[in-house]
Amino acid sequence: MEFTLSDSLSRIASSTGFAALTGGHVIMLLVSLVLFYLAIWKQFEPLLLLPIGMGCLLANLPLTGLANTVDGGLFNIFYYGVKHEILPPLIFLGVGALTDFGPMLANPYTLFLGAAAQIGVYTTLVGAVALGFNMQEASAIGIIGGADGPTSIFLAAKLAPHLLGPIAVAAYSYMSLVPLIQPPIMRFFTTKKEREVRMEQLKPISPNVKIIFPIAVTVICCLMLPGVAPLLGMFMLGNLFRESGVTQRLSETAQTHLINIVTILLALSVGSSMTAESFLTLETIKIIVLGLIAFCFATAGGVLFGKLMYIFTKGKVNPLIGSAGVSAVPMAARVSQKVGAEELKGNYLLMHAMGPNVAGVIGSAVAAGVFLSLFGDVGAAHSTAMVLTVGE
Amino acid sequence: MIVAAVKVSILAMGVIFTVLTVLIGVIQLLVKFIPYVEPPAPPARKTAPASGTGSEEEAETLAAIHVAVAHHRGESPQAIQVTNIQSH
Repeated sequence: MEFTLSDSLSRIASSTGFAALTGGHVIMLLVSLVLFYLAIWKQFEPLLLLPIGMGCLLANLPLTGLANTVDGGLFNIFYYGVKHEILPPLIFLGVGALTDFGPMLANPYTLFLGAAAQIGVYTTLVGAVALGFNMQEASAIGIIGGADGPTSIFLAAKLAPHLLGPIAVAAYSYMSLVPLIQPPIMRFFTTKKEREVRMEQLKPISPNVKIIFPIAVTVICCLMLPGVAPLLGMFMLGNLFRESGVTQRLSETAQTHLINIVTILLALSVGSSMTAESFLTLETIKIIVLGLIAFCFATAGGVLFGKLMYIFTKGKVNPLIGSAGVSAVPMAARVSQKVGAEELKGNYLLMHAMGPNVAGVIGSAVAAGVFLSLFGDVGAAHSTAMVLTVGE
Repeated sequence: MIVAAVKVSILAMGVIFTVLTVLIGVIQLLVKFIPYVEPPAPPARKTAPASGTGSEEEAETLAAIHVAVAHHRGESPQAIQVTNIQSH
């Protein structure tokens, strides 16, 4: 074989990533830089946006084989965790271990605020269908309004895996923008008098109730909506680790190291799904717009239901806690606290807002369960189980 | 299709409110039948009258430190005399 210098140089040049770089790649590299900017300099959800940005950057450097679609590639293997329902439920395990249901148990009617905030999910579902998405895609987009990243990823992976990248990015970007998106809506829908309501101190809850509650929720919700069992089951297991008092090591691991490791894997997988081919489409722009609408309607739904509770309780409930019904724990609760304290100094709404906030996590998981029951393959799994039973 | 989406939305909101209403009922039952009981107050600490050597508890701590230091230095506890203790 003849070996010339010019041939060798030409071969080396054509084997570099530069030769395969397209305009789409360049745009996606710029998108990853925007994510880095938001994460590092603006500190918007840095734990998520930073690894998502890096996953996006690596997936769009040609010939590295790091896009999640490349069989056998590193991120393809990580992506199995998303595709096969492993990573989002593990995140929920950690979130459960970090969650105190006390405020919600002390004032159980705040669960309704978590339900009301799901209105954003369904208005967006209608909007998505109007924009030409099918029902499965619209459901996966609508759940962005639940302001719950793992639930959005879980549902998108099941109902619309081709839209996972834009849905996850929209969900986490808007979650990080909760302190900017929510306050104007909260002020718009409430009067000064309503915002100044001081709420009564929450009554203490027996530790035994805190232990029984996650078990009861698991049984009830998983029987009513089996599709949501991986998310709610893990969420409640994490909480049981915390409340049982006998699994401190497991609780600490779930709260810290486990959730951190899984966050890295999940965020990298999501970032690596943001390839130019899948992301630079008209659908992505529609999803970004619909995601914003979902958040706005979710906030408005929670606040308006809060107003309703204000009327029914003769002014004992501050409607501002309704906005925390979108999950985004604990950021949404902090926003309720901040807006309330701005209106009336020394008005502490944080603990009251934590009730609807954790209720929002349950609410968005239940909303996902409803979508899975309607459009997922839960029915198929049931049929398979039936066939197996008959066969045995 | 939009009409179907509206129907799905109404149905789904109904299911969510139903599930959460059931949970509220469960919580109320739990709170009713397992009320919060104030934990017993910890027994008041016995305080020994002040003396030159401090309280009984302090004396025990001092003895333990004394023995540990002696062990560390490889000397007999009698060979070591604690003259001053300062807390920082």
